[in-house]
Amino acid sequence: MFSLKSLEAFDLEAADALLAAIRAVAEENFFAITVPCDAGTFAELAVRQPRWLVARVQFEEGPLAGSVSCTLPEELAHVLLDAFSGWEPSAPAPTYDQVLDLVGEFSNMVCGSWLTRITRHQAFTLSRPVVEPALAPAHADGPRLFVAVRDLPLAVDVRLQSVTQDVRPEGFV
Amino acid sequence: MRILIADDSAMMRALIKRVVKLSDVPVEEILEAGNGAEALALLKSHDVHLLLTDINMPVMSGTILLREIAGNDRWRGLNCMIISTDGSTSRREETADLDARWYLEKPFRPEVLKDVLTKVAGSLRS
Repeated sequence: MFSLKSLEAFDLEAADALLAAIRAVAEENFFAITVPCDAGTFAELAVRQPRWLVARVQFEEGPLAGSVSCTLPEELAHVLLDAFSGWEPSAPAPTYDQVLDLVGEFSNMVCGSWLTRITRHQAFTLSRPVVEPALAPAHADGPRLFVAVRDLPLAVDVRLQSVTQDVRPEGFV
Repeated sequence: MRILIADDSAMMRALIKRVVKLSDVPVEEILEAGNGAEALALLKSHDVHLLLTDINMPVMSGTILLREIAGNDRWRGLNCMIISTDGSTSRREETADLDARWYLEKPFRPEVLKDVLTKVAGSLRS
Protein backbone atom coordinates (compact mmCIF):
# COMPACT_ATOMS: atom_id res chain seq x y z
CA MET A 1 0.00 0.00 0.00
CA PHE A 2 1.39 3.39 -0.96
CA SER A 3 2.40 5.56 1.99
CA LEU A 4 1.42 9.22 1.96
CA LYS A 5 4.47 9.82 4.14
CA SER A 6 6.46 9.46 0.96
CA LEU A 7 5.30 12.88 -0.15
CA GLU A 8 8.30 14.10 1.79
CA ALA A 9 10.53 11.05 1.55
CA PHE A 10 10.26 8.63 -1.34
CA ASP A 11 10.11 5.40 0.62
CA LEU A 12 11.98 2.21 -0.09
CA GLU A 13 8.85 0.32 -1.11
CA ALA A 14 7.99 2.89 -3.76
CA ALA A 15 11.59 2.98 -5.02
CA ASP A 16 11.74 -0.82 -5.29
CA ALA A 17 8.43 -0.82 -7.13
CA LEU A 18 9.71 1.82 -9.53
CA LEU A 19 12.85 -0.18 -10.32
CA ALA A 20 10.76 -3.32 -10.82
CA ALA A 21 8.45 -1.40 -13.18
CA ILE A 22 11.34 -0.06 -15.25
CA ARG A 23 12.88 -3.52 -15.55
CA ALA A 24 9.57 -5.17 -16.46
CA VAL A 25 8.85 -2.62 -19.18
CA ALA A 26 12.39 -2.55 -20.58
CA GLU A 27 12.89 -6.30 -20.54
CA GLU A 28 9.44 -7.57 -21.58
CA ASN A 29 8.54 -5.20 -24.38
CA PHE A 30 11.90 -3.71 -25.27
CA PHE A 31 14.14 -6.77 -24.73
CA ALA A 32 16.67 -4.57 -22.96
CA ILE A 33 18.64 -5.72 -19.94
CA THR A 34 18.28 -3.11 -17.21
CA VAL A 35 20.34 -2.73 -14.05
CA PRO A 36 20.30 -0.07 -11.35
CA CYS A 37 23.33 2.16 -11.07
CA ASP A 38 24.55 4.98 -8.88
CA ALA A 39 24.83 8.66 -9.75
CA GLY A 40 28.54 8.35 -10.53
CA THR A 41 28.07 5.54 -13.03
CA PHE A 42 25.16 7.41 -14.58
CA ALA A 43 27.35 10.49 -14.97
CA GLU A 44 30.08 8.44 -16.66
CA LEU A 45 27.57 6.97 -19.12
CA ALA A 46 25.91 10.33 -19.65
CA VAL A 47 29.01 12.33 -20.47
CA ARG A 48 29.29 10.63 -23.86
CA GLN A 49 25.76 11.52 -24.90
CA PRO A 50 25.21 14.81 -26.78
CA ARG A 51 21.42 14.79 -27.13
CA TRP A 52 18.70 13.82 -24.70
CA LEU A 53 14.95 13.45 -24.48
CA VAL A 54 12.73 13.98 -21.46
CA ALA A 55 9.28 12.39 -21.32
CA ARG A 56 6.85 13.42 -18.59
CA VAL A 57 3.62 11.63 -17.69
CA GLN A 58 1.26 13.15 -15.15
CA PHE A 59 -0.96 10.92 -13.06
CA GLU A 60 -3.85 11.06 -10.66
CA GLU A 61 -4.49 8.13 -8.35
CA GLY A 62 -7.15 8.70 -5.73
CA PRO A 63 -6.01 11.59 -3.52
CA LEU A 64 -2.55 11.68 -5.04
CA ALA A 65 -1.27 13.44 -8.13
CA GLY A 66 2.18 13.78 -9.58
CA SER A 67 4.38 12.94 -12.49
CA VAL A 68 6.98 10.47 -13.64
CA SER A 69 9.70 11.69 -16.00
CA CYS A 70 12.15 9.59 -17.98
CA THR A 71 15.36 11.26 -19.13
CA LEU A 72 17.40 9.33 -21.68
CA PRO A 73 19.84 9.96 -24.50
CA GLU A 74 18.59 9.82 -28.09
CA GLU A 75 20.88 6.84 -28.65
CA LEU A 76 18.89 4.83 -26.10
CA ALA A 77 15.63 6.05 -27.63
CA HIS A 78 16.70 4.58 -30.98
CA VAL A 79 17.79 1.31 -29.35
CA LEU A 80 14.41 1.01 -27.65
CA LEU A 81 12.54 1.86 -30.83
CA ASP A 82 14.41 -0.77 -32.85
CA ALA A 83 13.63 -3.42 -30.25
CA PHE A 84 9.99 -2.43 -29.73
CA SER A 85 9.06 -2.17 -33.37
CA GLY A 86 11.32 -4.83 -34.87
CA TRP A 87 12.81 -2.23 -37.14
CA GLU A 88 14.57 -3.82 -40.09
CA PRO A 89 17.87 -2.28 -41.29
CA SER A 90 16.42 -2.20 -44.80
CA ALA A 91 13.42 -0.15 -43.67
CA PRO A 92 13.41 3.65 -43.85
CA ALA A 93 14.86 5.38 -40.80
CA PRO A 94 12.23 6.26 -38.20
CA THR A 95 10.99 9.81 -38.10
CA TYR A 96 11.70 12.06 -35.15
CA ASP A 97 7.99 11.98 -34.28
CA GLN A 98 8.12 8.19 -34.10
CA VAL A 99 11.08 8.39 -31.73
CA LEU A 100 9.21 10.85 -29.51
CA ASP A 101 6.10 8.64 -29.58
CA LEU A 102 8.14 5.64 -28.55
CA VAL A 103 9.82 7.46 -25.66
CA GLY A 104 6.43 8.72 -24.54
CA GLU A 105 4.98 5.22 -24.63
CA PHE A 106 7.96 3.84 -22.69
CA SER A 107 7.44 6.44 -19.99
CA ASN A 108 3.69 5.83 -20.02
CA MET A 109 4.28 2.13 -19.35
CA VAL A 110 6.85 2.80 -16.62
CA CYS A 111 4.48 5.18 -14.83
CA GLY A 112 1.47 2.88 -15.16
CA SER A 113 3.37 -0.23 -14.17
CA TRP A 114 4.75 1.55 -11.10
CA LEU A 115 1.36 2.87 -9.99
CA THR A 116 -0.20 -0.58 -10.41
CA ARG A 117 2.55 -2.12 -8.28
CA ILE A 118 2.31 0.30 -5.38
CA THR A 119 -1.44 0.03 -5.01
CA ARG A 120 -3.09 -2.89 -6.77
CA HIS A 121 -6.64 -1.69 -6.13
CA GLN A 122 -6.82 2.01 -6.97
CA ALA A 123 -7.44 2.97 -10.57
CA PHE A 124 -5.55 5.93 -11.98
CA THR A 125 -5.55 8.29 -14.93
CA LEU A 126 -2.50 9.25 -16.96
CA SER A 127 -1.98 12.30 -19.11
CA ARG A 128 -0.69 12.01 -22.64
CA PRO A 129 3.12 11.97 -22.36
CA VAL A 130 4.94 15.19 -23.20
CA VAL A 131 8.33 14.54 -24.78
CA GLU A 132 10.91 17.29 -25.27
CA PRO A 133 14.55 17.45 -26.33
CA ALA A 134 17.22 18.42 -23.81
CA LEU A 135 20.94 19.04 -23.96
CA ALA A 136 21.62 17.17 -20.73
CA PRO A 137 19.78 15.66 -17.77
CA ALA A 138 18.34 18.42 -15.62
CA HIS A 139 18.90 18.64 -11.89
CA ALA A 140 16.33 16.53 -10.06
CA ASP A 141 13.85 18.29 -7.76
CA GLY A 142 12.67 15.09 -6.14
CA PRO A 143 13.42 11.36 -5.96
CA ARG A 144 15.47 10.08 -8.90
CA LEU A 145 16.35 6.55 -9.90
CA PHE A 146 19.37 5.83 -12.10
CA VAL A 147 19.50 2.74 -14.29
CA ALA A 148 21.57 1.47 -17.20
CA VAL A 149 19.51 0.07 -20.04
CA ARG A 150 21.73 -1.90 -22.43
CA ASP A 151 24.61 0.01 -20.85
CA LEU A 152 23.01 3.35 -21.70
CA PRO A 153 21.86 5.83 -19.04
CA LEU A 154 18.28 6.39 -17.98
CA ALA A 155 17.07 8.58 -15.11
CA VAL A 156 13.54 8.35 -13.78
CA ASP A 157 12.16 11.15 -11.64
CA VAL A 158 9.07 11.13 -9.48
CA ARG A 159 7.27 14.26 -8.33
CA LEU A 160 4.41 13.88 -5.90
CA GLN A 161 1.73 16.22 -4.68
CA SER A 162 -1.60 15.77 -2.92
CA VAL A 163 -4.73 16.59 -4.85
CA THR A 164 -6.64 17.73 -1.78
CA GLN A 165 -4.90 19.48 1.09
CA ASP A 166 -7.06 17.77 3.72
CA VAL A 167 -6.07 14.25 2.68
CA ARG A 168 -3.41 13.38 5.22
CA PRO A 169 -2.75 10.25 7.24
CA GLU A 170 -2.61 10.39 11.01
CA GLY A 171 0.63 11.86 12.22
CA PHE A 172 1.55 13.36 8.88
CA VAL A 173 2.69 16.95 9.24
CA MET B 1 -12.02 -11.43 -38.50
CA ARG B 2 -11.90 -7.65 -38.48
CA ILE B 3 -9.97 -6.09 -35.60
CA LEU B 4 -10.01 -2.52 -34.30
CA ILE B 5 -7.04 -1.23 -32.28
CA ALA B 6 -7.63 1.91 -30.21
CA ASP B 7 -4.55 3.50 -28.59
CA ASP B 8 -3.23 7.05 -28.70
CA SER B 9 0.32 5.80 -29.31
CA ALA B 10 1.01 5.02 -32.95
CA MET B 11 3.99 2.91 -31.88
CA MET B 12 1.85 0.80 -29.56
CA ARG B 13 -0.75 0.32 -32.31
CA ALA B 14 2.07 -0.79 -34.63
CA LEU B 15 3.31 -3.30 -32.04
CA ILE B 16 -0.14 -4.77 -31.49
CA LYS B 17 -0.67 -4.92 -35.25
CA ARG B 18 2.62 -6.77 -35.65
CA VAL B 19 1.67 -9.29 -32.94
CA VAL B 20 -1.68 -9.84 -34.65
CA LYS B 21 -0.03 -10.45 -38.03
CA LEU B 22 2.51 -12.85 -36.50
CA SER B 23 -0.22 -14.81 -34.72
CA ASP B 24 -1.22 -16.82 -37.81
CA VAL B 25 -4.87 -16.13 -37.03
CA PRO B 26 -6.82 -15.28 -40.19
CA VAL B 27 -7.50 -11.54 -40.10
CA GLU B 28 -9.42 -9.77 -42.83
CA GLU B 29 -8.58 -6.23 -41.79
CA ILE B 30 -6.95 -4.30 -38.96
CA LEU B 31 -8.40 -0.86 -38.25
CA GLU B 32 -6.71 1.77 -36.09
CA ALA B 33 -8.01 4.60 -33.93
CA GLY B 34 -6.12 7.18 -31.88
CA ASN B 35 -8.86 7.64 -29.29
CA GLY B 36 -12.27 6.39 -28.26
CA ALA B 37 -14.17 8.80 -30.50
CA GLU B 38 -12.31 7.63 -33.60
CA ALA B 39 -12.92 4.04 -32.53
CA LEU B 40 -16.64 4.69 -32.14
CA ALA B 41 -16.80 6.18 -35.63
CA LEU B 42 -15.07 3.11 -37.06
CA LEU B 43 -17.41 0.78 -35.19
CA LYS B 44 -20.37 2.58 -36.78
CA SER B 45 -18.98 2.18 -40.29
CA HIS B 46 -17.39 -1.29 -40.10
CA ASP B 47 -18.41 -4.73 -38.90
CA VAL B 48 -15.76 -5.28 -36.21
CA HIS B 49 -15.33 -8.62 -34.43
CA LEU B 50 -12.68 -7.72 -31.86
CA LEU B 51 -11.86 -4.40 -30.21
CA LEU B 52 -8.46 -3.97 -28.53
CA THR B 53 -8.51 -0.74 -26.60
CA ASP B 54 -6.37 1.27 -24.23
CA ILE B 55 -7.97 3.07 -21.28
CA ASN B 56 -6.12 6.38 -20.99
CA MET B 57 -6.73 8.15 -24.30
CA PRO B 58 -7.48 11.78 -25.15
CA VAL B 59 -10.86 12.97 -26.50
CA MET B 60 -12.66 9.81 -25.34
CA SER B 61 -11.21 7.28 -22.91
CA GLY B 62 -11.45 3.53 -23.29
CA THR B 63 -13.89 3.37 -20.38
CA ILE B 64 -16.31 5.81 -22.00
CA LEU B 65 -15.94 3.94 -25.29
CA LEU B 66 -16.95 0.72 -23.52
CA ARG B 67 -19.95 2.51 -22.01
CA GLU B 68 -21.06 3.62 -25.47
CA ILE B 69 -20.69 0.06 -26.77
CA ALA B 70 -22.51 -1.50 -23.82
CA GLY B 71 -25.38 0.96 -24.24
CA ASN B 72 -26.03 0.06 -27.87
CA ASP B 73 -27.64 -3.25 -28.88
CA ARG B 74 -25.95 -2.96 -32.26
CA TRP B 75 -22.68 -4.03 -30.62
CA ARG B 76 -24.08 -6.73 -28.39
CA GLY B 77 -21.59 -9.58 -28.43
CA LEU B 78 -18.65 -7.45 -29.65
CA ASN B 79 -15.47 -9.00 -28.25
CA CYS B 80 -13.62 -6.34 -26.24
CA MET B 81 -10.15 -6.57 -24.79
CA ILE B 82 -8.43 -3.93 -22.70
CA ILE B 83 -4.70 -3.35 -23.22
CA SER B 84 -3.62 -0.86 -20.57
CA THR B 85 -0.87 0.11 -18.15
CA ASP B 86 -3.55 0.34 -15.44
CA GLY B 87 -3.62 -3.12 -13.91
CA SER B 88 -5.54 -2.12 -10.77
CA THR B 89 -8.33 -4.39 -9.56
CA SER B 90 -10.83 -1.55 -9.57
CA ARG B 91 -10.15 -0.78 -13.24
CA ARG B 92 -10.39 -4.46 -14.12
CA GLU B 93 -13.72 -4.71 -12.30
CA GLU B 94 -14.99 -1.53 -13.94
CA THR B 95 -14.23 -2.78 -17.45
CA ALA B 96 -15.56 -6.27 -16.71
CA ASP B 97 -18.84 -4.65 -15.67
CA LEU B 98 -18.84 -3.01 -19.11
CA ASP B 99 -18.52 -6.42 -20.79
CA ALA B 100 -14.81 -6.34 -21.61
CA ARG B 101 -13.93 -10.05 -21.62
CA TRP B 102 -10.15 -9.80 -21.50
CA TYR B 103 -7.70 -7.52 -19.76
CA LEU B 104 -4.06 -7.34 -20.79
CA GLU B 105 -1.73 -5.29 -18.66
CA LYS B 106 1.17 -3.46 -20.34
CA PRO B 107 3.92 -4.51 -20.70
CA PHE B 108 2.33 -7.64 -22.12
CA ARG B 109 3.60 -10.90 -23.49
CA PRO B 110 2.67 -11.30 -27.17
CA GLU B 111 1.66 -14.93 -26.66
CA VAL B 112 -1.13 -13.85 -24.29
CA LEU B 113 -2.61 -11.65 -27.01
CA LYS B 114 -2.18 -14.47 -29.50
CA ASP B 115 -4.19 -16.82 -27.24
CA VAL B 116 -7.09 -14.36 -27.18
CA LEU B 117 -6.97 -13.95 -30.95
CA THR B 118 -7.09 -17.71 -31.39
CA LYS B 119 -10.08 -17.99 -29.05
CA VAL B 120 -12.00 -15.23 -30.80
CA ALA B 121 -11.23 -16.68 -34.24
CA GLY B 122 -12.42 -20.07 -33.02
CA SER B 123 -15.66 -18.67 -31.63
CA LEU B 124 -16.40 -16.90 -34.92
CA ARG B 125 -15.96 -20.13 -36.87
CA SER B 126 -18.35 -22.10 -34.62
